[in-house]
Amino acid sequence: MIQYCRALFRNLRHRQALNEELDEELSAYVESVVKDKVCRGISPEEAIREARLEIGGLEQVKQGVRDARKGAFVEGLMQDLRYALRTLAGSFGFSSIIVLTLALGIGANSAIFTLFNGVLLKPLPYPDSTRLVMLWETLVRNGALDGVAPANYYDWHRETHSFEKMAAIDPYPDFILTGSGSAQRLAGAAVSQEFFSLLGVHMALGRDFLPEEDKPGSRQAVILSYSTWMRLFGGRTDVVGQSIRLNDASYSIVGVLPRNFYLVSKAADYQSRNRIDIWTPLALPSPPAAWQRGTHPLCVFARLKPGISLQQAQADLNVVAGNLQLLYPNDDKDRGIAATPLESHVVEGIRVALFTLLAAVVMVLLLACANIANLMLTRGAARQKEIAVRIALGAGRMRIARQLLTESLVLSLVGGSLGFAILLVSVPALVRHLPADVPRAADVSIDWRVVLFTSLLSILTGILFGLVPLYQARRVSANDSLKQGGGAVAADHSRVQNSLTVAQLAIAVILLAGAGLMTKSLWRLTEVSPGFRTDHILTARLSLPPQYANGFVFGTGKHPRISQFEDELLQRMRAVPGVQSAAFASYLPMSGVDNSWAFYIAGRAPNPPGVFDVTHYRPVSAGYFETMGIPVLRGRTFSESDTDGSPLEVVINETMARTWWGSQTPVGQHIRFGDQHWRTVIGVVGDVHHDSLADTPEPDMYVPYGQVPNVEARPVIVVRTAIEPDSVVSALRSAVSDVDPNVPIDQIESMKQLVYGSESESRFRTAFVLTFAFLALFVASIGLYGVMSYSVTQRTREFGIRIAIGATRGAVLRAVLARAAKFVCIGVCVGVAGALVLTRLIASLLFGVRPVDISIFVSVPVLLIAIAFIASYFPAKRASSVNPMDALRYE
Amino acid sequence: MPSSQTDLLQGTLDLLILKSVALEELHGMGISRRIMQITNGTFEVKAGSLFPALYRMEEAGWLTSFWGEAETNRRAKFYRLTKTGKKQLQTESDRWERISLAMASALRATREAS
Repeated sequence: MIQYCRALFRNLRHRQALNEELDEELSAYVESVVKDKVCRGISPEEAIREARLEIGGLEQVKQGVRDARKGAFVEGLMQDLRYALRTLAGSFGFSSIIVLTLALGIGANSAIFTLFNGVLLKPLPYPDSTRLVMLWETLVRNGALDGVAPANYYDWHRETHSFEKMAAIDPYPDFILTGSGSAQRLAGAAVSQEFFSLLGVHMALGRDFLPEEDKPGSRQAVILSYSTWMRLFGGRTDVVGQSIRLNDASYSIVGVLPRNFYLVSKAADYQSRNRIDIWTPLALPSPPAAWQRGTHPLCVFARLKPGISLQQAQADLNVVAGNLQLLYPNDDKDRGIAATPLESHVVEGIRVALFTLLAAVVMVLLLACANIANLMLTRGAARQKEIAVRIALGAGRMRIARQLLTESLVLSLVGGSLGFAILLVSVPALVRHLPADVPRAADVSIDWRVVLFTSLLSILTGILFGLVPLYQARRVSANDSLKQGGGAVAADHSRVQNSLTVAQLAIAVILLAGAGLMTKSLWRLTEVSPGFRTDHILTARLSLPPQYANGFVFGTGKHPRISQFEDELLQRMRAVPGVQSAAFASYLPMSGVDNSWAFYIAGRAPNPPGVFDVTHYRPVSAGYFETMGIPVLRGRTFSESDTDGSPLEVVINETMARTWWGSQTPVGQHIRFGDQHWRTVIGVVGDVHHDSLADTPEPDMYVPYGQVPNVEARPVIVVRTAIEPDSVVSALRSAVSDVDPNVPIDQIESMKQLVYGSESESRFRTAFVLTFAFLALFVASIGLYGVMSYSVTQRTREFGIRIAIGATRGAVLRAVLARAAKFVCIGVCVGVAGALVLTRLIASLLFGVRPVDISIFVSVPVLLIAIAFIASYFPAKRASSVNPMDALRYE
Repeated sequence: MPSSQTDLLQGTLDLLILKSVALEELHGMGISRRIMQITNGTFEVKAGSLFPALYRMEEAGWLTSFWGEAETNRRAKFYRLTKTGKKQLQTESDRWERISLAMASALRATREAS
């Protein structure tokens, strides 16, 4: 072994000296052979000739010795590497185009894979997360998922047998923190006692809730999220046991959650709130009150018992649902129960978008590979002579293959490393620009999966395009190549090359078509009138402390303290210079919050049981329509005098009017919701896009703040300004703290920002696909350029002869362009056909554009043809300027 | 080519080289001549097999080399058997003898003897 290592070391270290020794030894050998022969009386010339024949090629002997040496493989590898680097550095332009193409391809792929990995592939950040499910009430009528009534949760918990644990979360309660500086709103969640242990979370500090703390009227305990702990207490470890004032009551801190804990959720489940600051026990009475079967605020999590499948659990739930339907026909008559795996529930909405991105980026990589294979082919043809010479000098075919593969691998590894650098730079940027409602954004990071993916991708692409020149070298015969100058093989591989070019152009067309459709749909969205004015409006959310609702009785709308606060604030704001008007609303368009009520129309036959007329519920103050610029179509809207004392009134939108009154006028009709009081429809206003510009307007019912049936403790103030909305922010803050310093104000945004934010996901996606499409166009045109240049070089002699015998230069130019046109035409046709099939798959992502959009399907080919023309014009120009004399001397 | 045959040939060449170097220190051409001589012209070792074998055996530690003067009055590389080489020659010779005896008796076998 030591002997072996020493030999290996010596061979590698003193390779040069060893080679010289070998040379000398061999020449001495040759001399001896010759001398022998001369001694036997052969003439010296004849002796030398015979000796050569006998020995059979000194180079082959040397190669034999080199191969016999220890470390021949390592040495060969290093030689290959050195040779590869020298060759690649020799053709720097060629190498850099390949490395760049690869870097972009691999970088973009890995970036999207990082996103994909974070959102779809990584397991949820809870132990044994595949056993976690969410339980929902379902409407038997249409299968829609709904929140869970506390009383139903109570029964599920007791009567099912498939779950190790079941816990509920009420994600709505807000808390106002006072006692340290200015009042602030904390996003809260109330959870049942087993919630954290179900998810497998251990507190970073302190302890979990105790069973006795999860009972009504018990000591008030809270658990802080890590970020809240850092923000409010600077990470002090003595917070456990301290008390804080929330909603004017004293709570005792029992624990702090670990830094990496977050509640994996879909934004829609929790009204756009992915962050929860503070946790309290749900404290459900046992058994719950009867009315707690008619309200559905809870989300329920459960952990399947080991060995129990989702189907078994669902069967168990179906039995329980059947029992509840019989026991509580009033509330549960048409309700079922559904279990959905937590993992798939969370990413449900984003799947299509992510797969679109992935498909686009994989196409870019394929295109990059095709392009590189093409360039390699081009160069391979030029290198056939070199390869033939090496074979003639005694290189084995395996050796040549290894050499070519080494070159490709060097290129792909350099490209891959550069791609990884692009990835490192782009992932933080990517995460920053992720739309707010992408679930699991916190999980998007570069981990071992991504590193493995990038490395494998580099090596695979290296092998993939390394195979092409190998295929070519396979049939190189030393004789033919040296004799014919490589012309014979060229014809054979040009077919591969041509189809690669056509494929590239087709992929570019598909991507451009997809990107075009998405861009057009985004553009359509910006053209949609939201139904209100978006400019010069400032919005902010206020959180009213719970004591504002003291003395409030459900349904009567008597809450003088809230009215007083709101009136006072509006008066102050209207007096601020630059402010034109101000108003309140509870559910502002594009803010992600919503509410609905069932309602009844006076004088109409009641609906069959289980069928409800439902409309969105929008409490607003007087002046809201003017401030928002929502047009009044019929009748009038609210005035300052619409209070709890005056007749009850509502305003409805156009869609609601059309849906239930058709062509008749609803003004003067009476409707009822929530309580027994009839309310008069006094006006009809224009439709408003509430969730996003892409949705269709739904029925809306506006109710004056003074007459709402329950407390609206989180009013949003809307201020219309004559100046930049941002310039009245400080005036708004001081006005609020003047009226009541205990009212927190947050989410201060202009209406423009809100609208812009509501489209962020589609803008993000479009920007990406568009980038990829242009990348593809760029790469494809390089490919076309490469192929055309190569064919012009190959045919230099032909062009020379043509020109020599009288072809005009214009004719040569046209001939080359015609050849390019053939590729482009086939490529465009294939691409358009592919796009017609593939764009159907993204129909759900499009708005206001059909998957087959004439303008896109015309303009994309035109764009491609124009770019292709430029890419092939230069080689054509070169062909037409061939000097006949040079061309004939060529080779 | 089946590998057993290669091994046999290689073994043969190694043995012949060891044997010729055991008698006196020789350079490449000398070894080639000596092999021809001691095998009565049956084996003619070409440079393409000889030199790789010499290098391989030197790396295995059976041979050492040094530069000396050849009959052509120029520097030539001479090979000498090492201690390991001697041992190797012994084992190889024994093995070869066993094989050749076995082969000889096998080929002499007749119907009566079996």
